[in-house]
Amino acid sequence: MFFRVIDKERLPDLVTGLSTEYEVIAPVEKDGRFVYAPVVDPGDVRLDYDTTLLPPKKWFFPAEETLMRFRVADNEVLDDEVFAAPRVLFGLHPCDINALLLMDNVFTGRYADPYYMRRREQTLLIGVSCSPSDTCFCNVWDTNEVHWGFDVFLTDMGDRYFASCRTVKGAEILDRFVENRTVTDEDTREFQRVVHDFKDAFDRSVDTTQLPVLLDAKFDSPIWDEFGEKCLSCGACSMVCPTCYCFDVHDRLEPDQKSGVRVRTWDSCQFKEFAAVAHGQNFRDTRASRVKYRYYHKQWGYLSKFERVLCVGCGRCARACPAGINPVNVIEALQTGEVR
Amino acid sequence: MKNAQTVMTRDIDANPYHPWPARITSIMDLTDKEKLFEFRLIDEDVREAFEFQSGQFVELSIFGVGEAPISISSAPSKQGFIELCVRDSGDVTGALHAKQCGDVVGLRGPYGRGFPFEEMKGHDILLVAGGLGIAPLKSLINHIHDERHEFGKVTILYGSRNPAEVLFRYQFDMWKHRDDFDLILTVDQPDDSWDGETGLVTKLFDKIDVDPDNTYGAICGPPVMYKYVIEEMRKKNMDVDRIYVSFERRMKCGIGKCGHCGVGHQYTCVDGPVFNYWEAMNLQGAI
Repeated sequence: MFFRVIDKERLPDLVTGLSTEYEVIAPVEKDGRFVYAPVVDPGDVRLDYDTTLLPPKKWFFPAEETLMRFRVADNEVLDDEVFAAPRVLFGLHPCDINALLLMDNVFTGRYADPYYMRRREQTLLIGVSCSPSDTCFCNVWDTNEVHWGFDVFLTDMGDRYFASCRTVKGAEILDRFVENRTVTDEDTREFQRVVHDFKDAFDRSVDTTQLPVLLDAKFDSPIWDEFGEKCLSCGACSMVCPTCYCFDVHDRLEPDQKSGVRVRTWDSCQFKEFAAVAHGQNFRDTRASRVKYRYYHKQWGYLSKFERVLCVGCGRCARACPAGINPVNVIEALQTGEVR
Repeated sequence: MKNAQTVMTRDIDANPYHPWPARITSIMDLTDKEKLFEFRLIDEDVREAFEFQSGQFVELSIFGVGEAPISISSAPSKQGFIELCVRDSGDVTGALHAKQCGDVVGLRGPYGRGFPFEEMKGHDILLVAGGLGIAPLKSLINHIHDERHEFGKVTILYGSRNPAEVLFRYQFDMWKHRDDFDLILTVDQPDDSWDGETGLVTKLFDKIDVDPDNTYGAICGPPVMYKYVIEEMRKKNMDVDRIYVSFERRMKCGIGKCGHCGVGHQYTCVDGPVFNYWEAMNLQGAI
């Protein structure tokens, strides 16, 4: 990797410079919380944010997008071109970058999804170090460290940033848009101290021993009925999850009924009809079965294919859940057999 | 974690959501609710590249209505056309039923894992279907028929609710007189015309002999049926990994992404829809 040091006061120059060639998306404050939004004024960027309401997935996999335009007559596709403008996602935390790598496993590879991939290719990622919030548990999955998937990663060292450039493009934008200098031995020692302090700051402990086995072995555990009783099937957990990728597809006709668009929207396995088939059978009819499936898929289904759990411990679902269901409590309940 | 750089360089020219135009070349009424449609993919290159296995499915796409997963009923040994046996049970299947011969719809696929035809060769085959479950098995049955010399004894047990709901009756009526297929049909509610068996398909196991060391089973039917048919096959000492089941789930995208067809830790669309019983046993909530 290639390293640079940037004076903290100079960082807005980077945002300003990037804005001349890219649409820059960064965390900004909105009603006392933080959201990723297009940057209007570099001064609005808040790298001290705890977490954003929605994860960065929407910039690659929007809540609603058109897959293709069609003509009803002859069932013809008129246009399925994938357009993505050059964009920079600025200020992503390690968990959110790791989440995108998990999404990549689904949307790339066999049957690669051109919509996701085109945006991914057109987007630069600039990460920034974080500090633990009251709901995050990324340390449990080792997702508070990130090694791939970003172009530049900025580690906050008080008055300066230690910038790690993973890609040629990342190194290029730093040199073009912001005053920087080469790294000294002192900078590297300070970097080591900072990242150790950072790791030490995460003290959330969750017993994840043999989770996939427990999910199978305790499939009929009454804890799922208890969580099912609490769950409102609102799907908020899926919407705010940086790794939930399930979607629905439907056709929308123009008023003339001759043409239309096929759109896809975010969906959630927590919605009642999610696993229902045409003849009336619903394979996950109860709330308990749906809550269980969410964990079953994240901690076992995905893992069985990609050797990672489909969770980065960002804690957004714990914040969003109106019923107070927190993944840490669910995993603990599975271990102990008791819902606390 | 995988290096994101390497996965980004794959070819993205092909859009896997893009349905290919297919012309309806034949429509046959099978029952009040089911019709057999024959399709021909219009693009010659697409048509020639379309190779499938029995047990695989396609996404039937009707713009303005949507998509539905339908298993292929024709045999892989017959190329150039695709047969789908479709029940009028939803928006998309309803729209298909309203189509005429010559109309164009969309197809994409084939998707999923089918029956292990090559592995089954050299063995006896026991096929058990219930209701519309005959649709994917019809592909396997006809494929076996076309390479009949490769197989030992072939037994087909097929249960329907009543005589009016028996699918592919034109073929089975003809096959009743063949001695190279042991075909037993049963209905729950017989009428005066019915000369076959009566009762659930599981009752037919009393009438058959199974060589447990040399038999592959294939099952498809309504969700409630699997457990009982598997029980009967196990009573005949068939191996868990030689009993194959085909599941119906909500395979919305067909390509392992949308999440709707999740069963246990797998996706029906890419990991199935055909699983052996050992695999299915390990899919919590599957049977």
